[in-house]
Amino acid sequence: MSSDRIGRALRDAAIPAPPEVEARGRRIVEAAYAERRSGRSELRGAMAPKTSERRSRPLPRLALALGIATLLAALLLSPAGAAGRDWVGEVVESPAPKPEPELARIPGGGRLLVQSATGPWVVQPDGSRRLLGDYEEASWSPRGLFVAAAEGRTLSAVEPGGTPHWSLTAGARVRTPRWAPAGERIAYRSAEELRIVAGDGTGDRLLAGSAAAVAPAWSPSGDTGLAYVSGNGELQIVNSETGKVLAAAPALADISRLEWGANGTAILEASPRVLRLRGIWVPKVSLTRKLGDARTLPLPASSSLVGAALAPWKQVVAAVVTHWRDHGTRSEVLLFAPGTAKPRSLLTVPGSLGEVAWSPDGHRLLVAWPGANQWLFLPVGRGKPRAVANISTAFSPGERAARFPRIEGWCCRR
Amino acid sequence: LQAEDGANERRLVREAQDGSGAAMARLYSLHWRGAYRAAYLVAHDAAAAEDIAQDAFLAAVDALHRFDRRRPFRPWLHRIVVNRALDWARREALRRRVDGAESVFEPLPPPEEIGGELMTALKELPAEQRAVVVLRHLLEYTPGEIARMLELPRGTVNSRLRRGLDRLRVAAEAESFAEERR
Repeated sequence: MSSDRIGRALRDAAIPAPPEVEARGRRIVEAAYAERRSGRSELRGAMAPKTSERRSRPLPRLALALGIATLLAALLLSPAGAAGRDWVGEVVESPAPKPEPELARIPGGGRLLVQSATGPWVVQPDGSRRLLGDYEEASWSPRGLFVAAAEGRTLSAVEPGGTPHWSLTAGARVRTPRWAPAGERIAYRSAEELRIVAGDGTGDRLLAGSAAAVAPAWSPSGDTGLAYVSGNGELQIVNSETGKVLAAAPALADISRLEWGANGTAILEASPRVLRLRGIWVPKVSLTRKLGDARTLPLPASSSLVGAALAPWKQVVAAVVTHWRDHGTRSEVLLFAPGTAKPRSLLTVPGSLGEVAWSPDGHRLLVAWPGANQWLFLPVGRGKPRAVANISTAFSPGERAARFPRIEGWCCRR
Repeated sequence: LQAEDGANERRLVREAQDGSGAAMARLYSLHWRGAYRAAYLVAHDAAAAEDIAQDAFLAAVDALHRFDRRRPFRPWLHRIVVNRALDWARREALRRRVDGAESVFEPLPPPEEIGGELMTALKELPAEQRAVVVLRHLLEYTPGEIARMLELPRGTVNSRLRRGLDRLRVAAEAESFAEERR
């Protein structure tokens, strides 16, 4: 066999090389180079897009619209829970969206997992929905083929159609199950413990004896890294196979949410008053983790953080805050982008907004608006916002005073 | 042509050392695909190949100011890539042994077929043999250069190449036979 033939085979072999891989690497390398040049040695900001790639600032028209909207909101102020009023149309870009009476499709596609008083529901791209069963908590598997659902001491893997595949009974109530991105492990809390079970329900084992009441977060890179908050308030990244601590730092006081996102380059910590982002360097080839300094994201004065979410592919954080101003509660959706000192305000409404979730492609936000009984689909860049009304009754049919459902996840990027 | 490419590359390295982002971007464009392909062919894992190639470029950026401008950039980068891919492949093999018969409820989608008996045979070679085959036949380094890159005696490189090629030859013959039958 000739060398030519081998060389040709190696050169011509159709290897999996999606174009975004090269572009992603280019951004990282160029950012690292720019950072190196500017004398900063830490790679914390290496994922920040180039200036030219940063999302453009909102148009002056939008700023004006937001200003007018804020004034309108102040003048037409209604108490929190002014259901039915089309505030969305008055506070965001024109043309104003009228709330659609029901969810006929999910803008941008994907599927939603929603937890209502009756249990978790899966919403298909065409808006059709199905109740999975009598479970208290649920979260998506990485490709949305299953849902990890918890009820009392039972953890189950359930198909989106509702068929359970397996169940296990833990020693105490199962909380916050989270499926690893590669699909082979589920981490969950039970009493004080953090436990791991294989994706087929076998091999349930203890990973840490003392964990805080915060959902653990898997490394998005598909490796064995798992971040959690220990019982003594330490943010730890551990190898979920061996339990070895790969990196650790003091966690945010009163932390309520932990997310590992932005393509694996950052960890988001949130408490009712503070939001902070910590860069993380995850070279798969060296099995090490390096936590960068925590960067506190500036929230408006006297505001409370209601929800926050880290974008799947970039170090962009969406936050929902509420504050008491001008004799009323106001809520605001903020976007924190890397390299910018101030957040961009995406929306301001009277009353209280709820949690926020990113679409799988990172192009949209879904924000709960319990007071108006609506969901808001907000494009992060161009595009029209959409509002959908009558959310409570959609997920608690037949109940007149249904509790507003909670958005558990928006799945999945293919 | 190679001398011209070499001169061009030295100029780009010099400009990148002097702070030219455009030169760094050009170096990336010139070498990313080769680095990624080499990493993939040694590791046979797309996510690992991306990490390895990216990590190699970041290491290059980190050490660029210390880089001797008279030396070629390409072998320096490939040395990082192939050694890291080898480390990864060894660790992965160890992990598989440790995990044993672990069943996976929801496996990742199967990797795209890269086709042919030859590629299958390459994947089945020990990582050390794959690395020298890739360095020799994809990246076209001489056994002497490979020995320096992998810090191995030249005889070891030659024997790994020979053993690897022996196994690939069987696969290539099977492939030829299949082609003829078609």
